[in-house]
Amino acid sequence: MSEQPAAAPAAPRSGLGTWGDHHLYSFVSSLGRVFRRPWATALTIGVMAVALALPLGLWLVLDNVSRLSGSVQQSREISVFLQPEIGVPEAQALAATLGGRDDVAAVELRTPEQGLAELRERGGLGEAIDAVGANPLPVLLLVVPAGDEIALAGTLRALPEASLVQHDAEWRQRLDDWLRFGARLMLVLGALLGLGALLVVGNTVRLDIQARREEIGVLQLLGATDGFIRRPFLYLGAWYGLASGALALVVLGLVGLALREPVAELAASYGSGFALQGFSLVHVLAVLAGAGVLGWLGASVVTGHFLRQTRPVDT
Amino acid sequence: MSVLRFDNVSKQYPGGQAALSEVSFDVGEGEMLFITGHSGAGKSTLLRLVHLAERPSRGAVLFGERNLARVRGRKVALHRRDVGVVFQDHRLLTDRSVFENVSLPLILRGMRRGEIARRVRSALERLGLGARERALPTELSAGEQQRVGIARAIVGEPRLLVADEPTGNLDPTLAAEIMALFESLPGRGTSVLVASHDLPLVKRMKKRVLVLDHGRLVDDIAPEELADE
Repeated sequence: MSEQPAAAPAAPRSGLGTWGDHHLYSFVSSLGRVFRRPWATALTIGVMAVALALPLGLWLVLDNVSRLSGSVQQSREISVFLQPEIGVPEAQALAATLGGRDDVAAVELRTPEQGLAELRERGGLGEAIDAVGANPLPVLLLVVPAGDEIALAGTLRALPEASLVQHDAEWRQRLDDWLRFGARLMLVLGALLGLGALLVVGNTVRLDIQARREEIGVLQLLGATDGFIRRPFLYLGAWYGLASGALALVVLGLVGLALREPVAELAASYGSGFALQGFSLVHVLAVLAGAGVLGWLGASVVTGHFLRQTRPVDT
Repeated sequence: MSVLRFDNVSKQYPGGQAALSEVSFDVGEGEMLFITGHSGAGKSTLLRLVHLAERPSRGAVLFGERNLARVRGRKVALHRRDVGVVFQDHRLLTDRSVFENVSLPLILRGMRRGEIARRVRSALERLGLGARERALPTELSAGEQQRVGIARAIVGEPRLLVADEPTGNLDPTLAAEIMALFESLPGRGTSVLVASHDLPLVKRMKKRVLVLDHGRLVDDIAPEELADE
């Protein structure tokens, strides 16, 4: 042991520089802990990813179903099939009368000839229609409602010229109810499983704190503030959250890839061009940020509780 | 001007007996003194009150002008940076190198990396550990580990160094070397308070000695009185 002159006092340092250095220290040390225990880290991330993937998957399903039903929702027309004896001129007069109503946005007239042509084109029923001989189709009025479509459908049914009025409001209403139920279920599941993810991070960080209790005690005695001690655990929680969010997105992406083709084929067999859609870039970023915040919060709750226990108490 | 003042300090643990009873003393600027007494006399409790691991039940502990009863929250951490602590069991972080262990107090103060490296190497050289900065604590002997603990305590040049049985596990030669190092600190502006039950060592040092017995300060022996003995 040798005697040396005392070190000269250090130049004062800006608070921002110190803050930046402390964050860098926490950033590096938290990453170090993640990579030092790969299996424990993988398990934590796996459990969290499953917890996040379930509500996210449900959201994705609902989003696609909503999109599929969107095209149905857009066609709000009411189909009015007129009595067979009503000719085109009377039908035109009726269309003009209906078009003048406040609760009607537009009326389109389809003659029996137009209807027949459409059937030949889309339905592949050419030979059957030819066998019938005369055109059996009535004049069709497609009425686009401007207000309460259910009331308008009732009014149209009461018309003496109307033979059949088709309006799909009821099943659309049921679909809406199912979608609302699904959205609520997604929220409840999201909240429950999000809480589960929070607890997983909290428990992992709690175990980590227990393993490092002695080290934390030494740091506290050396003058580490609560923030300095808390920060590496917050980063650790955020890493867990980010990684599990990314894993959940990858899993859902793979599920989407596996289902895309059969769903497209199914839709095509119904004459629809519907295709499954995954997450947009905005959604991906939102999921990653949300998962990171979730991990950060879980770690924050646990470290806050631990630090409160270690403060000197009055006796 | 005293660095540390205990004014009628008592400490009673919930449900237990008094660990300290009405203890009063001063530690002067640049003074080195010993606290001695049998095991359980209250030496460690007294030191724990100084670095705010505990708070007194009654009385006041003053650190310079700072009343430690009023030090709360973040200020507890800032106070601890003014007190270097040496433990009998070293309390080194076993997964960090000697250099990293000693640099911790300076990182906490937010010093620049260059300044940290300069100060850490200076402290390690002083303690004869210049060649061991990359070693892990588990690769060191007990004496070397204790010297790393001391380097960590003095690297920030604290106003007060408290040491709890710092030579407990060391052979007499190394214990004497460490005491010589402590003796040099007051010249550098650091007061030193050493708790030890090694009476022969305490007598050899010929410094002021506070004697605790069952939590009471029963004697305050001046250096000259020890010299007479």
